[in-house]
Amino acid sequence: MFKKKVTLKILLLLIASDILETIIHFFFKKSALAQNNLAVVDIASALVFLKAVFASPFLWAGLLAVVTVFIIWSTILAKIDLSVAVPIASFSYILVPIASIFFLHEHITVLRWGGILFILTGVILVSLSSKERIAQEK
Amino acid sequence: MKDGLLIVLSLIALTSLCDTINQLFLKSAINSLNFTPTFNIVRIFKFIFQLLIKPRLWVGFVFSVISLCIWLLVLSKADLNFAFSADSMHYIFIALASKVILKERFNSLRWLGTGLIISGIVIVSLS
Repeated sequence: MFKKKVTLKILLLLIASDILETIIHFFFKKSALAQNNLAVVDIASALVFLKAVFASPFLWAGLLAVVTVFIIWSTILAKIDLSVAVPIASFSYILVPIASIFFLHEHITVLRWGGILFILTGVILVSLSSKERIAQEK
Repeated sequence: MKDGLLIVLSLIALTSLCDTINQLFLKSAINSLNFTPTFNIVRIFKFIFQLLIKPRLWVGFVFSVISLCIWLLVLSKADLNFAFSADSMHYIFIALASKVILKERFNSLRWLGTGLIISGIVIVSLS
């Protein structure tokens, strides 16, 4: 049995899948926004809405990214626990605000920095919890 | 308005739940393959192929499609910030399902870390 430790390679894969995940959300939001004028009230109108969404090129670009994420994500899950991989993947909540400072020159509030610090500490703790487990098993 | 909020919240819970089920099937399919992680592209594709012929992966895939459809509906109704903060309940579902169904072992560090991440996401999304 191989070690389930969170290595640097796994961390880089997780960040890569996170960045793609963010792009996916952006594409999907774009494809849904374009259909803003459609009111979804029942099954029939929901189907009309979905039909319009699936006609949007943004959705298909998003789906292509989904396939790539699936391959990366499967490789990650082959190595580490689901309960470690999913929390660490919350890294995108840190990447997006940091990217918006550098690329969009957005201002980040103190409260938001506090939230980012919470997530970062949580990610570090969850990563370490995987190491401790190995130590216990030895 | 309050009715609308309740509907959006239930939809978000439903999409989180469907995604959790999808992750469970995926992880269980991967666990059954006993693949040793590698950065050899050929071996990775072989692994993905073996994964794709597992029926339980496709059960998970169906849930993933349902989850995506509901999520698109949520995004058309709700503010992205609110949707993301409410979606942090996903981490609770994943933690519980991993522990109960996949029998992954949790220590206090993992619980604490997961709790911090959930609080952080709510703060970041709502601030």
